[in-house]
Amino acid sequence: MDQEKLLKQLIEEVMKNMSKESIAADDTCKASQKIDASSYPLGEKIPDQLKSPTGKVLSEMTLEKLIKGELGPNDMRISPETLEMQAQVAESISRDAFARNLRRASELIKVPDDRLLEIYNALRPYRSTKKELYDIADELENKYGCKINSSFIRESADVYEIRGRLKKD
Amino acid sequence: MAMDEKLIKKVIEEVLKEMKLNNDKPEVKTSSIADETGNMTLTEVGTFAQGKAPNEVVIGLAAAFGKHQTKTIIGIPHDQVLKEVIAGIEEEGMNYRIVRIYRTSDVAFVSHDSAKLSGSGIGIGIQSKGTTVIHQKDLFPLSNLELFSQAPLIDLATYRQIGKNAAKYAKGESPAPVPVKNDQMARPKYQAIAALLHIKETQYVDSDKKPQEIKVEFK
Amino acid sequence: MKSKRFEALAQRPVNKDGFVKEWAEVGLIAMDSPNDPIPSIKINGGKVTELDGKARKDFDMLDIFIADYAINLDNAEKVMAMDSLELARKLVDINVSRKEILKLTLSMTPAKIVEVVGKMNVLEMMMAATKMRARKIPSNQCHVTNLKDNMIQIAADAAEAAIRGFDEQETTVGIVRYAPFNALGILIGSQVGRPGVLTQCAVEEATELVLGMRGFTAYAETVSVYGTEPVFMDGDDTPWSKSFLASCYASRGLKMRFTSGTGSEVQMGYAEGKSMLYLEARCQFVTKGAGVQGTQNGSVSCVGVPAGVPGGIRAILAENLIGMMLDLECASSNDQTFTHSDLRRVARTLMQFVPGTDYICSGYSSTPNYDNMFAGSNWDAEDYDDWNIIQRDLKVDGGLKPVSEQDVVKVRNKAAKAIQALFRELELPEITDNEVEAATYAHGSKDMPDRNVVEDLKAAEELISKGITGVDIVKALYKAGFEDVAESVFKMLKQRVAGDYLHTSAILDKDFKVISAVNYANDYAGPQTGYQMSKERWAEISNIQNAVSPEDF
Repeated sequence: MDQEKLLKQLIEEVMKNMSKESIAADDTCKASQKIDASSYPLGEKIPDQLKSPTGKVLSEMTLEKLIKGELGPNDMRISPETLEMQAQVAESISRDAFARNLRRASELIKVPDDRLLEIYNALRPYRSTKKELYDIADELENKYGCKINSSFIRESADVYEIRGRLKKD
Repeated sequence: MAMDEKLIKKVIEEVLKEMKLNNDKPEVKTSSIADETGNMTLTEVGTFAQGKAPNEVVIGLAAAFGKHQTKTIIGIPHDQVLKEVIAGIEEEGMNYRIVRIYRTSDVAFVSHDSAKLSGSGIGIGIQSKGTTVIHQKDLFPLSNLELFSQAPLIDLATYRQIGKNAAKYAKGESPAPVPVKNDQMARPKYQAIAALLHIKETQYVDSDKKPQEIKVEFK
Repeated sequence: MKSKRFEALAQRPVNKDGFVKEWAEVGLIAMDSPNDPIPSIKINGGKVTELDGKARKDFDMLDIFIADYAINLDNAEKVMAMDSLELARKLVDINVSRKEILKLTLSMTPAKIVEVVGKMNVLEMMMAATKMRARKIPSNQCHVTNLKDNMIQIAADAAEAAIRGFDEQETTVGIVRYAPFNALGILIGSQVGRPGVLTQCAVEEATELVLGMRGFTAYAETVSVYGTEPVFMDGDDTPWSKSFLASCYASRGLKMRFTSGTGSEVQMGYAEGKSMLYLEARCQFVTKGAGVQGTQNGSVSCVGVPAGVPGGIRAILAENLIGMMLDLECASSNDQTFTHSDLRRVARTLMQFVPGTDYICSGYSSTPNYDNMFAGSNWDAEDYDDWNIIQRDLKVDGGLKPVSEQDVVKVRNKAAKAIQALFRELELPEITDNEVEAATYAHGSKDMPDRNVVEDLKAAEELISKGITGVDIVKALYKAGFEDVAESVFKMLKQRVAGDYLHTSAILDKDFKVISAVNYANDYAGPQTGYQMSKERWAEISNIQNAVSPEDF
């Protein structure tokens, strides 16, 4: 497509991989090593460092394994560590609001689908009392360790109260 | 346009039917149809009581329906709209009650509120411009059983079908949905006007007023 | 006597359109309402205490959210003090880079950004869009729907649309309960046509999330936000619930964008006397504040409202530009029908077609318009050749390419067979060979046999209640002998493990490589910079089948 750019990317990629090999020793790469846009797309450049919440490595995920039943729906999901890396990519190019969303999201990975839907619906206008929203915030904080989301929900409850958007009657 | 022809035919049929039903002074009706004004009285009889009867469908009217506005966006008189919906419900052997929703003019909420108030959990919401939704109380407000979003395409036959299908849902049946109509030229022609009509409806919204039970009398 | 000239003019399609005069008090005005606020900001101890002439104690819900989340405060007082005309000039100046502009625009208030774009004419806005679009390479999106909610036809149309060049595809429903089947149809069909096409199914917010979680869709777009608090409430959400929803999507590794557009507030009856563009700017700031990567805007389904008032089409381009100025992916509408006039619909589209946007149409109808369940699109299947030839005339990359009948018939047939097999494996209601044949050659749903709707709806409900997921779909396709389609759906599921396509303006190529505003950021800086069409791509656009060559004679 754009050959010069492609070449530049290839060189960058090779250099990145070289520098990565030297630090590969401490394999808990997590947040210790800051990621930036030069590692992007992570799935193409560092697939061996991306794991599902169940511990499956992206580069080892194959159709054959899925057919054999070695990969299930719970393996085909993003992990908090990966979302944190993506948030760092976003921050490295000044997309701070987007990075904040990804960090809120990374907390929510643990929350089961059905509960997540219930909480979303509880946050809609006129659905919940202030106490109900505060209880949800506590649940998210205590049960799932969602710090950002719990304060976000408490804040929403306070705003809903001022604006008359809590459950009526 | 085919729709107009159909509409006129329907109106004539309607008049003829009524003439057969009560043989008094058909000429009054003819003249009242000519100027397309409403031909019914809607009386508010107090706060709408939560329904218990499983054999009822609640018809929810938006704030201006039959009161501050009298016909749909394509000029169908509101009394005929209501009459067809009721006829559809009764044809299926079910009862109806009418509520006016004041807190919102949004058809999704008008219909969802009606469904929640309905003993069967089935409600129909109708805006003055004609947009109609069949709703069920356990669905999300912005979801629906059947949505008739293009008001310019809803004719009287469709309103009757809407009543029938709502009644069937109330009976626990799974009716074939009323065939969806689509006309991509409805928007260019009607959308800006629809906005005007909706603004005028919304002017009568009262966010603190409870749903009111309505008694209807057709003249 | 009647003028024959006027008689002829009265018959023109444009005179079937509905027009209204401005009515500023209720917000029936595209830009510059006398009630629009004067731009201002006051910051005290890191907190916004005044926003666009309103003190914090008078803030409504949207003001609070915008003040606390959507504005980069570091630079705000400085930028707000700058002359709006000077800022507008920077936007069209090729010597001021996109990056430099973002430092300014991300610190503006809604009223300020509206004032800045208000200084520009449409040509200047188009120049600004060329520079401010997030992704280097423009793209296009289509609608795949039909009046009967026939999923076999959806699969076939999706396959055809994929080989015609659409990178994103969107379906919706006539009957809500059909959603799971329509989502399956577009997923399977698109992957048969061209692996890596992203698909979505536009339904009620919570239902849409369920379809995504299950792996039936790859992204979401119908996540609507509105510019006044009462309309936001009628939309059954708040900025907080919508932000939470955005995070829900990201937590499942799913791409998403918000949707908004001029005219929705006045259409829904609560515009508070503000101009459509000012209210849309508030939507864009809510989108930004929620941390969503992109927007679908450009009036979208309310297009009849701005198009009915003076300057409305200019306002639509202005709102697209505002999205880009906030560093958002912009799917720039050009979707829903707004006019009977072919001239008007082309003029409206050139505003985005010429500069190029992330998705020029966010819903080019891949079916004839009678099947378009978004109530008709500005462009439909019968316009495919017109679009291709306009690309060729102007040497503009509008995302599509000419295709042969033979190729189209082949992919349509394969898509119909794939969904037939999938339905058999998943024990869903039978798809007959007759239906496969009809879908292969169909132009629209009038060419399709009717299905047993009640039986379909029951099965669609069971599909969800049984907990079928994308993994089951992959297995079923594989078992049915469609290994290649299974592989594509599997690779689509893998995208959500990596999360690369969550980023701004991301699309996937046929090898599932991500192309986004991270690795392909727009770097336009004047002639011969930014996106330049390759020789191969130009040849593809140039070589229409009905062109005669000199050698033919």
